[in-house]
Amino acid sequence: MAKQYDVLFRLLLLGDSGVGKTCMLRRFTEGEFDPSHISTIGVDFKMKTIEIDGLRVRVQIWDTAGQERYQTITKQYYRRAQGIIFVYDITDRASFQHIAKWAGDVDENAPDDVQTILVGNKADEECSRQVTKEQGQKLAETYGMEFFEASASTSSNISESFIRVTELVLQAQKRDVDNLLGSLDSYLDQVALQEEKSSQDNHTQRTCAC
Amino acid sequence: MDQSIAIQETLAKEENCIVAAQCEILLEDFSESRLLGLVECSKEHAIFIYSHRRMAITADDVSLEDIVPISLDFAVVEVSSAEQLVVVGADTRVRMSYKDEELELTLPFGSQSRLFLCEVNKAWSDVCRSPAQVPKFEWINKYKKAIKSQESVKQFIAPLEEFSNKVNQHQEMEKVSDKKGSLEKVKTSNSVTPKPKGNSSQENQSREERDDLVRSSSHTTSNKAQILAMPQFGLRDNLIKCELLKNEDLYTYLENFSFFLGTYNVNGQTPKESLRPWLSCTLKPPDIYCLGFQELDLSKEAFFFNDTPKELEWTKAVSDALHAEAQYALVKLVRLVGIMLIFYVKKEHAEFISDVETDYVGTGIMGRMGNKGAVAIRFRFHNSDICVVNSHLAAHVEEYERRNQDFKDICSRLQFRQLDPTQPPLTIMKHDVVLWIGDLNYRISDLDVDKVKDLITKNDFETLHSYDQLKRQIDEEAVFVGFEEGEIDFQPTYKYDTGSDKWDTSEKCRIPAWCDRILWKGKNIQQEHYQSHMAVRTSDHKPVSSLFIIGIKRVNSEAYKKTFEEIVRNIDKMENECIPSLSLSKREFHFKDVKYMQHQAEALSLFNDGQVPCQFEFIQKPNESTYSKPWLTANPSKGFIPQGGSMVIELEVFVNRSTAPDLNCGKQEIEDILVLHLERGKDYFISVTGNYLPSCFGTSIYSLCHMREPVQDMPIQTLLKLAEMSPDDDSSTAEKPLDIPKELWMMVDHLFRNAVNQEDLFQQPGLRTEFEEIRDCLDSGMPDSLPGSNHSVAEALLLFLDALPEPVIPFSFYQQCLECCSSGAQCEKIVSMLPQCHKNVFSYLAAFLRELLKNSASNGLDVSILVTIFASLLLKSPKKQDLAEKTKTQEFFQHFLN
Repeated sequence: MAKQYDVLFRLLLLGDSGVGKTCMLRRFTEGEFDPSHISTIGVDFKMKTIEIDGLRVRVQIWDTAGQERYQTITKQYYRRAQGIIFVYDITDRASFQHIAKWAGDVDENAPDDVQTILVGNKADEECSRQVTKEQGQKLAETYGMEFFEASASTSSNISESFIRVTELVLQAQKRDVDNLLGSLDSYLDQVALQEEKSSQDNHTQRTCAC
Repeated sequence: MDQSIAIQETLAKEENCIVAAQCEILLEDFSESRLLGLVECSKEHAIFIYSHRRMAITADDVSLEDIVPISLDFAVVEVSSAEQLVVVGADTRVRMSYKDEELELTLPFGSQSRLFLCEVNKAWSDVCRSPAQVPKFEWINKYKKAIKSQESVKQFIAPLEEFSNKVNQHQEMEKVSDKKGSLEKVKTSNSVTPKPKGNSSQENQSREERDDLVRSSSHTTSNKAQILAMPQFGLRDNLIKCELLKNEDLYTYLENFSFFLGTYNVNGQTPKESLRPWLSCTLKPPDIYCLGFQELDLSKEAFFFNDTPKELEWTKAVSDALHAEAQYALVKLVRLVGIMLIFYVKKEHAEFISDVETDYVGTGIMGRMGNKGAVAIRFRFHNSDICVVNSHLAAHVEEYERRNQDFKDICSRLQFRQLDPTQPPLTIMKHDVVLWIGDLNYRISDLDVDKVKDLITKNDFETLHSYDQLKRQIDEEAVFVGFEEGEIDFQPTYKYDTGSDKWDTSEKCRIPAWCDRILWKGKNIQQEHYQSHMAVRTSDHKPVSSLFIIGIKRVNSEAYKKTFEEIVRNIDKMENECIPSLSLSKREFHFKDVKYMQHQAEALSLFNDGQVPCQFEFIQKPNESTYSKPWLTANPSKGFIPQGGSMVIELEVFVNRSTAPDLNCGKQEIEDILVLHLERGKDYFISVTGNYLPSCFGTSIYSLCHMREPVQDMPIQTLLKLAEMSPDDDSSTAEKPLDIPKELWMMVDHLFRNAVNQEDLFQQPGLRTEFEEIRDCLDSGMPDSLPGSNHSVAEALLLFLDALPEPVIPFSFYQQCLECCSSGAQCEKIVSMLPQCHKNVFSYLAAFLRELLKNSASNGLDVSILVTIFASLLLKSPKKQDLAEKTKTQEFFQHFLN
């Protein structure tokens, strides 16, 4: 039997305190939902194995403290992320406005090729909605991100969001490998060309010497 | 306060007294003052214990009583007594032991004791770090002789037994504190470790120690993710494989396939006739053929070189004779000398055959050669593992036990390598289906040849079979345990005259026997036929065949996917559950009214609520070199908690002279976040806050001179503004500053009025509680006059000078002072150049000390005592001060006391 797991990626959940990052993570990894809010004070993570195009991918999803006072510390964790899920609460306008700040922090601290998506959580609470789907969509477009409205409570779009960001990471990795192979090819071509040239030079020299 | 100079004078040139401290040594029922000196010589350290006269100034004041070398046999342990457990930060009691000697000491509260213990611990740590370099302490010997001549020595270095009652007391105390709860328990257990720890008077030392741990630790937030990223795929793969195997029923179903098994001992002949009667005897074409030959080639060449043209001849004969209604693919052929096994599969099934491996075992001459033995092929068909063995066992009627042994040897020695090299090789018995064919050579015994032939004629194979050695050996469970054989309904296949159906007519006239057999082992196997083929006459054996219908496990790919995903989900779940986890009693700590040099501690209990033991550690935050601010420590800062276990961490706040200046002026606050990291697990943030009450201790002379109110009544903005101003630009402040800090005046004035005749002033330590009252009085302005004894006020004055962020002689003047220390006039000139407030303080102190000297008759002070105490406080080196510098600072200051 061949290896069942080929890749491991690290994803990071970012967003204001109370937008439901921990709930989303629990829903995705354990299929459970607990509406009581216990602030994550620290950095937690869970593992999950998903299949993308027949490839088994293990993702390590980091759940961070959303509270502002911990942000100088949590920024430290951005560096190792390959994918980031920005989360806001559709019933909390401020959490949506703060996405700009979170995105700015990521720009500063995360690797350049980090893949990001935007998720508006609590999509089931339509009656207390403060951020329209269009606003979310528009913000995502501004940052060139894909956008989902999801609900950890009903499980709607939760897996889709996590899987989508993993797909993006996977694609980015493949691009990297292709680029590497591409540059390797052109390098080899160049070397071959030079060798050819130098052997020609030798040849001409020799004829000259004769 | 520095008595190391007196000790230094008693030492040899190459020896250096690093630090000295006064202590009380506990004897039977009373205590006596001793002076301790930590002495270094060629990187070895020892503690010199002196009896001393008053404050030791010169060598004449001290007399060496004993030396305790700091080696691996040395230990210094903090001893907590019941009442001191409550008052954290009181005088330090330590028990010092060397080999079987032990003594108990009390070090007074104060920076000197702290420094001493810190240095001792450092020296001891050095010894522990390089246990290979055992210190020799040769330099001590010269002193030892001197000590031995004194009888007084052993009076206080009591042997262990004499101290046993004290130790017992200590143990009892431990028991009591056990009952008191976990907080005390931790403290006591700390005190058992051979390092002084957890007491405020050793704050600096323990912090340094912990910082070292942090630095040496490889686990910081930045590299933790890397550790986690190390994939342990191998383990997971095996787990999944295991689970898949266990749940095979969930995603496989049985489908029947026909297996044609044949065995033929060809007696070295070449094929002379078609094998169709043997191989094409079934109605429908079988799905699989496994055909075994023995004695393919009896030539020496075949034996020695394992090379024979007959392999090809017989393979061709077989190919030509396979069932005509289907197409077959030769999957594998394996041969050992004359033992050959060929494996064909119907073309349409070829894609479901995998993991084909072969092996052979020789059991012939010397138990190793290939004239006897077995060859075998294993393969996977759909999801079933099948092994076919073709063996030729030892000959001769009486050798049945040898045949049994051959079987066992084959079973144990025949091994198939696995695709995954980390897996152990597969043996025959590890397969779902084992088909064993061959010339097993078991004969008919206990029956003469005529009787045998008679039974054969009568077709009474049942009776004859009861004389069959193989049947008997199987019944006795001596061989082929777990195997089955079908009913034998054909006459023995051995031995015929070649080319005929006649029994052996040679001289030997062998008794007919069922040498050629087919057995099986496994589930869902149905034998359709078991027969010999009389029409084939090339050899002295007849070929035998058997058709099996075998239920093969096929995979339902939908169900497989589901099962697989379920397993992966479960393993993910298991893995998530195995991430170490703790529950914390509190996530936020607030320290109220933190004061200078006043220890505060709060307990954080950790409970391991995870499913695995966990290793925790407080780790550094980005851009910080230690896990906490310098005024905060977690004790212990790392550790291990078993599953279900708990531990109490003490968070201790202690503001000392190095952290006080920034806190006093509000540049820093009591605010920190600790990161508690679990190895292979999550991080917890613990926030520590508090309010600090500013103190004159650790506030600059300049700032204090600009405060007309007590420091705690000043708005924090003013404090910050003052701290940022330079003593050189006095013009900027509108209000005229005080000449000297009022706090300094209060202490000096108090001493001047009350203590000019006080004996042992500045030499006898003060009381800790009184210091706290004095500090509070200075900082808050209440009560109106200073509380406490003269000694306590004197010590407070020394601590005040010691805590100044910029000494009375500012660092920038230090070098100049050293250079001109011999000239009184020049020294005075330097002082005249000091910033105004510093100059005032210096002159004021000098005047006060001169005043004290006037009363030396009653207070016992002299110039050298005061110089020793005050020079090191007034003139501080920005770097580490060496002995020569020390002497010069004293010389400098002496000019002002005459």
